[in-house]
Amino acid sequence: LFFVPCLLSLLLEPFTLGVPLSLADPINQAYNLALYMQKNTSVLLQTYLQYQGSPFSDTGFSAPELQLSSLPPAAVPFMLWRGLGDGERLIQTRGAFSALAQHLQLVNDDQADLNPGSSVLLSQLAAARLWAQGLMGNMASVMTVLGVSIPPEVDALGPAPFGASAFERKCRGYVVTREYGHWTDRAVRDMALLKAKYVA
Amino acid sequence: MEAYFYSRLLSKTGGNKRMSSSKFQWLSSIIFLYLVNQAHGQSRGVPHDLNCITHNLKVWDCSWEALPTINHGTYEICVINSSYPCIRTEKTHFEIPALTFADHEIKINSIHVSGNSVIKFILNERNVSLVPATLQDFNLTADFSTSTLYLKWNDNGSVFPSHSSVIWEIIVQYKEKMEVATVATLNTTLIGKDSVHHWNWTSDIPLECTPHYVKIRYYIDELHFFGQKEWSEWSPLRNISGPPVKENYEVFPRDKVVPVGSNMTFCCVVGEPVLSAQFGKESYSFIRLDRRSVAIKINNITVSPSSGTNVVFTTKSNLYGTVVFAGYPPDIPRKLNCETRDLKEITCSWNAGRPTGFFGPRGTNYILYERFSGRNVTYGRAEEHMNAIHQLIFQMITGQEIYNFTLEANNPLGRSEAVILVNITQRVCPHTPSKLIAKDINSTAIFLYWHLSGNFANINLLCEIEINATYSGQELRNITVRGLETSSYHVYMDKLMPYTMYTFRVRCSSENFWKWSKWSNEKHYLTTEGIPSKGPDIWREWRADGKSVIIYWKPLSLNEANGKILSYNVSYWSEEKTRYLSEIPDSQHKAEIKLDKNDDSDYIISVVAKNSAGSSPPSKITSMEIPNEDIKVEQIVGIGNGILFHWNYDPNMTCDYVIKWCNSTRSEPCLTDWKKFPANSTGALVEYDNFRSGTRYNFFLYGCKNQKYQLLRSILGYTEELAPSVAPNFTVEDTSSDSILVKWEDIPVEDLRGFLRGYLFYFEKGEKGTSKIQGLESGRSDVKVKNITDITQKTLRIVDLQGKTGYHLLLQAYTGGGIGPGKSMYVVTKENSEGLIIAILIPVAVAIFVGVVTSILCYRKREWIKETFYPDIPNPENSKALQFHKSICEGSSTLKTLEMNPCTPNNVEVVETRSVAPKIEEDTEIKSPVTDGPEEGSDAEPENHVVVSYCPPIIEEEIANAGGEEAGSSSQVIYIDIQSMYQPQAKPEEELENHLVGGAGYKPQMHLPVTSTIENIITADDLEKTAGYRPQTNVNAWNLDSPDSPRSIDSNSEIASFGSPCSINSRQFLIPPKDEESPKSSNGGWSFTNFFQNKPND
Repeated sequence: LFFVPCLLSLLLEPFTLGVPLSLADPINQAYNLALYMQKNTSVLLQTYLQYQGSPFSDTGFSAPELQLSSLPPAAVPFMLWRGLGDGERLIQTRGAFSALAQHLQLVNDDQADLNPGSSVLLSQLAAARLWAQGLMGNMASVMTVLGVSIPPEVDALGPAPFGASAFERKCRGYVVTREYGHWTDRAVRDMALLKAKYVA
Repeated sequence: MEAYFYSRLLSKTGGNKRMSSSKFQWLSSIIFLYLVNQAHGQSRGVPHDLNCITHNLKVWDCSWEALPTINHGTYEICVINSSYPCIRTEKTHFEIPALTFADHEIKINSIHVSGNSVIKFILNERNVSLVPATLQDFNLTADFSTSTLYLKWNDNGSVFPSHSSVIWEIIVQYKEKMEVATVATLNTTLIGKDSVHHWNWTSDIPLECTPHYVKIRYYIDELHFFGQKEWSEWSPLRNISGPPVKENYEVFPRDKVVPVGSNMTFCCVVGEPVLSAQFGKESYSFIRLDRRSVAIKINNITVSPSSGTNVVFTTKSNLYGTVVFAGYPPDIPRKLNCETRDLKEITCSWNAGRPTGFFGPRGTNYILYERFSGRNVTYGRAEEHMNAIHQLIFQMITGQEIYNFTLEANNPLGRSEAVILVNITQRVCPHTPSKLIAKDINSTAIFLYWHLSGNFANINLLCEIEINATYSGQELRNITVRGLETSSYHVYMDKLMPYTMYTFRVRCSSENFWKWSKWSNEKHYLTTEGIPSKGPDIWREWRADGKSVIIYWKPLSLNEANGKILSYNVSYWSEEKTRYLSEIPDSQHKAEIKLDKNDDSDYIISVVAKNSAGSSPPSKITSMEIPNEDIKVEQIVGIGNGILFHWNYDPNMTCDYVIKWCNSTRSEPCLTDWKKFPANSTGALVEYDNFRSGTRYNFFLYGCKNQKYQLLRSILGYTEELAPSVAPNFTVEDTSSDSILVKWEDIPVEDLRGFLRGYLFYFEKGEKGTSKIQGLESGRSDVKVKNITDITQKTLRIVDLQGKTGYHLLLQAYTGGGIGPGKSMYVVTKENSEGLIIAILIPVAVAIFVGVVTSILCYRKREWIKETFYPDIPNPENSKALQFHKSICEGSSTLKTLEMNPCTPNNVEVVETRSVAPKIEEDTEIKSPVTDGPEEGSDAEPENHVVVSYCPPIIEEEIANAGGEEAGSSSQVIYIDIQSMYQPQAKPEEELENHLVGGAGYKPQMHLPVTSTIENIITADDLEKTAGYRPQTNVNAWNLDSPDSPRSIDSNSEIASFGSPCSINSRQFLIPPKDEESPKSSNGGWSFTNFFQNKPND
């Protein structure tokens, strides 16, 4: 838990300082947080799979065919992504992390039922959700400085999740943790792009 | 009719109830037609095969076969002799109410265009079949979660007579191929009214996986109906299909919880081909259920992990799955125990037993139910204990002491329970006492307070108080206190020691002991001071001048002082006066009182110790001692760490015994420490940390009579003796040619380090600087040692030394602890000039004397000599040559040359009696191991018995020729003198040879007594020196020939010249002072040899 103070500083600064005057600070903060999150995404995914039993816990497990309709995929053609305006790119990523934060809460609840004794997994899911929310905040700061209007948060989940079977919940969790990694990778690149553009 | 009955019997008793009804109908029609035709003889083309059945025993339904020629005609059916009206119909069947048991004639009139024809049938109940109506209306439902089919139907019992037995047959089919899943048979009884029946069945395949089809038929066994009874037709098939599959796929069953060991089938409903199926880590081959569904069957499922076991079907584009949770029903709760800590709430704890394998929502739930009150408590997961010990808290009910608890455990697979009946007042395990406080009462008693939460107003508490003190160890006290509602308790603690740091802690239980609480925290408390319990241990010593006495005392121990000693008060008094010294602070433990020892008055000295609480009882001692003149100084050696004293019991000693001691080398007053022992003791071990090994202490034993001490014994002692640390300082006081006088001084007591036991004095002959005496090798024959055990002796004269010879001297002192270092010295004895002069003068005088006497004799006997040796006319007959041996020239070799006769050996025995060599006084005796043997030999032969064997006439010639030849030939004259008695008999020849080589000295002509001690210590070096003087020219011949020649040679080859006169006679010079001790001076012959001894061996 050594990262907690560092994390708190990353999360709290945008809120405590209000609207930053320069663009560099919020971009750097968002970039640094995304970079930090990136280092932990694979650990989260592996920890998650480890608790779900075979075949999820089998070495090299991968099921790209599993998707969630409620969660936008991070994969996007490069040129399409490159051609997006800064505001649109930020809106997409922030929207994805908004959905991810909701899904991570759902996955956390699912795992509290399926693996109530797995405190390591539950704490990692909670941390990931916190980071996702923090990144949303940082990106909102960037958007504010750029003059991009921040769209309101939408309910990504809807009423559907409650009837899911255990297997569906396991798969859902897998997709969420996987997509969380992908979106984090994309957020790092988003921020890197902005950094290159706005921060000397 | 016989055939009819046969068929009826078949239908009634036949085991195959599923026999087709058409078969019966066909058979009965044949029979019936035969009968009718035979009765009426009608031709073909009219109605035939009349067949009647009944569905409800009330109406008969008859039908017949009609030829095509009469189609489209009308039939009139009449029952002959019956009140039933005729029936006109265009159909080929009719219904009539059930007729009575008799035969009835049925007339069927066929009316058609070509004409009428009438045919008659005889109809009886026996010809009617009972075929129940097909069950059309039944209810089929399903529970998909359990894969169970529920069938519900009405038996229509109101139609049939009651008490009829009904057999129901149900068939379930599934899969695409309509495989029969099960065939079930039920027996019921009709009760005269409609009844609803139920049947359920659980499929081994989830109902969602494939449609299940159900059909049913039945058979009514009405005993009172004589017609045929047949199975109903099968009901129409009903099917159960799963709900519409979401998203075009699904795997069943979903999230099933099953017991370990179950057998299960999982199916996947999907529109695309399934490539593989996997259960957990294992792959399974699947079976196809129908077009869209495949399944795998798992036998004996093992326990699942927390998130369940995954069942996964893989297609080309996706994977589908479900989860199954396999575990155990809850075990019976073990070790259920209910107790209270505060009589307010009851804590029931238990062990869950075998793990169920379920977690979270599938985990075990517990309900604690109390039967008397009807209240229960549900186990919340938040209270779950990590180590499988669970507990529930039940609030106590006022006034209720007996509780009957039932703990029920349940999970999705089942339930179990455990019960316990407790009297809660006997199950009290209180909380840990806290807030321990101590409060003074006096120096030996306190109040101890503590807090114990709980309402114990109705019971007594048993509390245990642990008391720890540094010096008195641990003590446990159990007390019973009345339970309180207020939680504050206190007890009175007495029998404590004053001014002592105590550590208290408390634990409690109920009086009806169940369990102790945990120990409270420790409370440290110092009790207040009390007056010292006894006076100090005191002793007094007079100063050497007798002008004052010093009173000593020892500090009181902690448990005697009962506080911090502040000061001491010393007072003394006699009959006349009392005096007080000023208060003495605690740091000082002695005081000097000016008294005169010569004053007759005896004072009593008193010492009192004071602390803040008061003064100790006084310790008293008298200033004067009871005199004791009979004191001897004794010696004692301790046992390492102390010294053990013994004394005889003395009833007069009424007070005690005191042993005081001091280092003997310290100045007065002699007092290092003292110890007191009871009056009835007879011994004591005095141990003292500062006792040092090798240090001499003075001990004084005092006895006490009537409060007055008397010195009983004075003892010098060591706890352990050590060897002296220094060598005794000695000097050579005097030296002479044959003796040395040494003198030494006492070793100081500090250096002695033990009681002196004696001295060891070593000396050896040798050149300066070559001494090996320091090594003190044992067994060295040339180092002589003298043990001086008389410790008062301070001088030693060493005698029998050689003149002008260097000697190494070494002196060591030894104690009980060992031998100390030695001091060495080198001394040279003086030259013996007087002896040399005498040794020259006397032989000359003797030679002159012998010459004169010989001349006189020869002159007087000249005639006889002439006649004998030089006659004018030699007469051999008168020759006297053979008698020469009797002449005074006996021993002369020149005379023997004339002997002509062959040797006739003769033996002459010479018996000589003489005294044993005088023994040397012990103090001056020189001990050498070599000397012992011969001395013993000498003692063994007190009487010298000498045999002389000689051959006078011819021996001279033989020896002259012999040179170095052995002297042991048969013609040899053997002379054995006294010395030969000492030589080892086993080596006569060797000794003779040695004699030839080195022993060519002067040989006395008389028998000489010899001191073997001297003989044996001659060295080879000495031998060479002694061989230097040769008064005769022909030494070899002289030695060999002379019958007087001593032939004794020491067995030691190094001392080759042992038989020489030098060695024989040197002894006489070494001990000159006492003539009576001189060896055989009366023989007269010895003195000559002395003169030739210039370097006598000692």
